[in-house]
Amino acid sequence: MDTNRDDFGIAIRSAFLSRGTQQRFSLFVLLLISIIFLLFEKIETKPLNYSRSIIKDVIYRGSFLASAPTVGIKKIISGISKHIKLYEDHAKLKKENSLLKNNILQSEYYKLENQQLKKLIDESSNEEVDYLTARVMLDKRSPYLNSFVINSGSNKKIKNSMTVLDDGKNFIGRIVDVNFFSSRVLLISDLNSKIPVIIEPSGTHGILSGRGNRNVSLEYLPENHKTNDGDAVYTSGKEGIFKPGIPIGEVKLTKEKIEVLIYSDLSQISFVNINLTEFNLSK
Amino acid sequence: MPISYQQTKFNLFSLLPLLALFYISLNGITVLNINFFSINIHYILVYFWVLRQPKSLGYGFIFLSGIINDVVFGLPFGTSPLSLLTIAGVAAYVRTVTVRISLLNDWISFLPALLVANLINFSALYFSDYAIDYFFLFKTSIFTFIFYPILWIIFRLLLNLMKN
Repeated sequence: MDTNRDDFGIAIRSAFLSRGTQQRFSLFVLLLISIIFLLFEKIETKPLNYSRSIIKDVIYRGSFLASAPTVGIKKIISGISKHIKLYEDHAKLKKENSLLKNNILQSEYYKLENQQLKKLIDESSNEEVDYLTARVMLDKRSPYLNSFVINSGSNKKIKNSMTVLDDGKNFIGRIVDVNFFSSRVLLISDLNSKIPVIIEPSGTHGILSGRGNRNVSLEYLPENHKTNDGDAVYTSGKEGIFKPGIPIGEVKLTKEKIEVLIYSDLSQISFVNINLTEFNLSK
Repeated sequence: MPISYQQTKFNLFSLLPLLALFYISLNGITVLNINFFSINIHYILVYFWVLRQPKSLGYGFIFLSGIINDVVFGLPFGTSPLSLLTIAGVAAYVRTVTVRISLLNDWISFLPALLVANLINFSALYFSDYAIDYFFLFKTSIFTFIFYPILWIIFRLLLNLMKN
């Protein structure tokens, strides 16, 4: 019995404490460093934040370079498939274009009407928004976080919690991690994402929650809510983090949940707009 | 002394696991997602090479690859190195206590390594206030275990090439 215990101890010691052949570090030391790293993650001090930013920036650039061949091949394949579908897409886009032209005229009319009504009730509106356009540098579809990395950081005055919109100005997420030359955008589809929203035309308030995959659903709605298929979902501006009225998607009722079909295709985003103004205003 | 063709070939082959380790972490493909299947090839790669050819994968490199994985995936620093080094630790222990090399032995001993590594991964994420998709974690563990023999055969072929 004692011999067995001794053998076990020797084997454990040999595996974790000894450096072994051609190993510069013992496992135990590296495990200890990993634990220290994890503990330091919670500590926010300037030197630590600087070092974290430098490490992240370097790795992001390295990852961008390392994945360049794969991204290139993917682009070629997608280019070929787009060419194959060219005629089909053209016909579809022609139809959509005429429909959108009608919608633009209608929305111009609503805009004017809205401005006049605002004047009537003396509501001052500040429509000037300062957007920063950034390119998506890394989109690795992490199994843990639905997020991507953009090529602008604190060098372009980006700060945590800023709103991120797609090129059509639809809401897609917020900034969660800022480095010197890069930032991470947490998408609305992520499990950690909870956005206060308003559903129109009923005016019902709720919380839009990510589910880890590319779907999002509505939660915390009042008991007798009147939400229908196709209702539009906008940011409500509650909690003062995001500007109200940014379009997100439309409601799709299923048996178990109230899902939201996001206007933006989160897997196809190359450029994003970051709202720099609203953060400064709220501060 | 001139370097022979055999030596160059060996060096090249012995570098392959290391190159694969960094390639998958830099490219963010440590967990392969193919339709419903999701396999953690990072774990399998580390486990196999630490178990069968520890010279090819240094612990320092495993740690570094874990850090890269954390940054690319946006995880708290230290999460992946901790689970990868645990896998390496179990592999080193199994190497010390076993004599015969067989797929079945390796496969069975991979199970506790996987369980401990996932437990550590889960705990690190939980205490860092990350919402976790438990089903995804469970599914990945199952498929990683199931697919281990396939990668074992591929790595074994590579190992034989290195030794020949």
